[in-house]
Amino acid sequence: MEAKIVVRDLVHEYDDEYTGQHVRALDGLSLEVADGEFVAVVGPSGCGKTTLLNILAGLVRPTGGRILVDGREVKGPGPDRGVVFQELAILPWRTVARNIGHGLEIQGVERGERERRVRQFIELVGLEGFDNKYPHELSGGMKQRVALARTLAANPVVMLMDEPFAAVDAQTRITLQEELNRIAIATRKTILFITHNVEEAAFLGDRCFILTRRPGRLKRVVEIPIRRERRQWKALTTDPEFTARREEILTLVREEVRGGED
Amino acid sequence: MKTDVAAAARRRPPRIPWGMFAAAAVAVGLWDAISQVLPQANLYLPSPGAVWAALLELLAKGILPDYMAESLRRVVLATTIGLAVGVPLGILIGINSKVAECCYPLLNFFQSLGGIAILPLVIVWFGFTEKTILVAINYTVLFPVVFNVLVGVRSVPRIYVNALRTLGASRLRIVRDVLLPGALPHVATGARLGMAYGWRALIAAEMLVGANGLGFMIFNAQSFFLTNRIILGMLVIGTLWVLIDRFVLRPLEADTIQRWGLVQR
Repeated sequence: MEAKIVVRDLVHEYDDEYTGQHVRALDGLSLEVADGEFVAVVGPSGCGKTTLLNILAGLVRPTGGRILVDGREVKGPGPDRGVVFQELAILPWRTVARNIGHGLEIQGVERGERERRVRQFIELVGLEGFDNKYPHELSGGMKQRVALARTLAANPVVMLMDEPFAAVDAQTRITLQEELNRIAIATRKTILFITHNVEEAAFLGDRCFILTRRPGRLKRVVEIPIRRERRQWKALTTDPEFTARREEILTLVREEVRGGED
Repeated sequence: MKTDVAAAARRRPPRIPWGMFAAAAVAVGLWDAISQVLPQANLYLPSPGAVWAALLELLAKGILPDYMAESLRRVVLATTIGLAVGVPLGILIGINSKVAECCYPLLNFFQSLGGIAILPLVIVWFGFTEKTILVAINYTVLFPVVFNVLVGVRSVPRIYVNALRTLGASRLRIVRDVLLPGALPHVATGARLGMAYGWRALIAAEMLVGANGLGFMIFNAQSFFLTNRIILGMLVIGTLWVLIDRFVLRPLEADTIQRWGLVQR
């Protein structure tokens, strides 16, 4: 089957606004994500993970290389690629329901159909009864559920997620990871998930792509041969297969971190 | 919970500001004392009693209500036009960070030239007419509005714009759904400041080119040495503004900022 996301020889350079330094963020990065696959991209901080996501989202134009999503060249932002950002990106002046329905509103989906789908996704992310609340009335974890539901409701071809759980507390993060796994199974979306958290990557990914330190290139791909239906933190923490893969990824990432300190 | 507290606060009967009345009473007392000992007080500083008499006289003749209505009409009209032009202009300039940066000093320059400083030029253009007054105060109202809307648009987090772009939103949609609501508290501040500057400019314009209005009243009284009317006019100008600011503009601004702040937090 043809890959949903194809990145070929991606190069990106820019001048840092604050330091004025010329930065080579990505250096010939190539990767492919299959239809319905969940790929976690891990790497040391500053390795160009977020740059990769912004380029895939069409928010940043790369210096060189090609990107195809669903066979089409990426030229700018578009609703075929849904993004869940690390920072809180839902609109504070819209209620939960109006935030979740925003993508549909933009697509011109008529009201009745919109409300039906909003309700469906409110249920999917477990926010029943919060329809008319404003973001400031929600906890950090609930806000990210709203962001996730907004992206899902717009029904993108692929989902791009940039450390969406980095800002929530550890307990909530575990819950959100399990729920994302459940949602990914239910929706069969193709997902590219960026994180610096090795455990998170091993838990969520069908495959984990480890990037080198800056300038970022693909260092290694680690497969996680555990059926997604089996992925529950309680069971996995003692699963030898899971721990072995997690350690493998950790070692690979550490090589890059240590190399960067020389 | 929060809304309950806010609603309760709103329901509470407004407290009578005795302290403010006391301060005003002291000021009037001082004024009266000075006018008592001043030689030729009627010319230089008429007593509160003399000004009160002028008030009753001008009310009876209907001049004061007319002039007040005239001045208020002008400032309300100018503020309305200023907002109608200033808000879209501020957004247009604010959309692009490069354009915003370039326009910043220019806007600051024009803002500093507000009010009376542009009157001579406007008089050259339109003569001693109503048009001159309106153009001058419109100009004065416009720049604080544009400036604040611009700052408001720039202060909207970039991530909101990016999120909407990835949802496939058009530029117009981003303006409507993100920039405008995001800038709303600044729009309220701009409107209040614009109207405050506009009020000062209006009095000056009425003095120089008016045939009516409060500014005209005090300037005209000077030619007849009717000092009590001058003082009366000043009191009306000041008091009117304090009332408008306190009971219309401040609540409007505070309400927007508070409610929006609560929403935005």
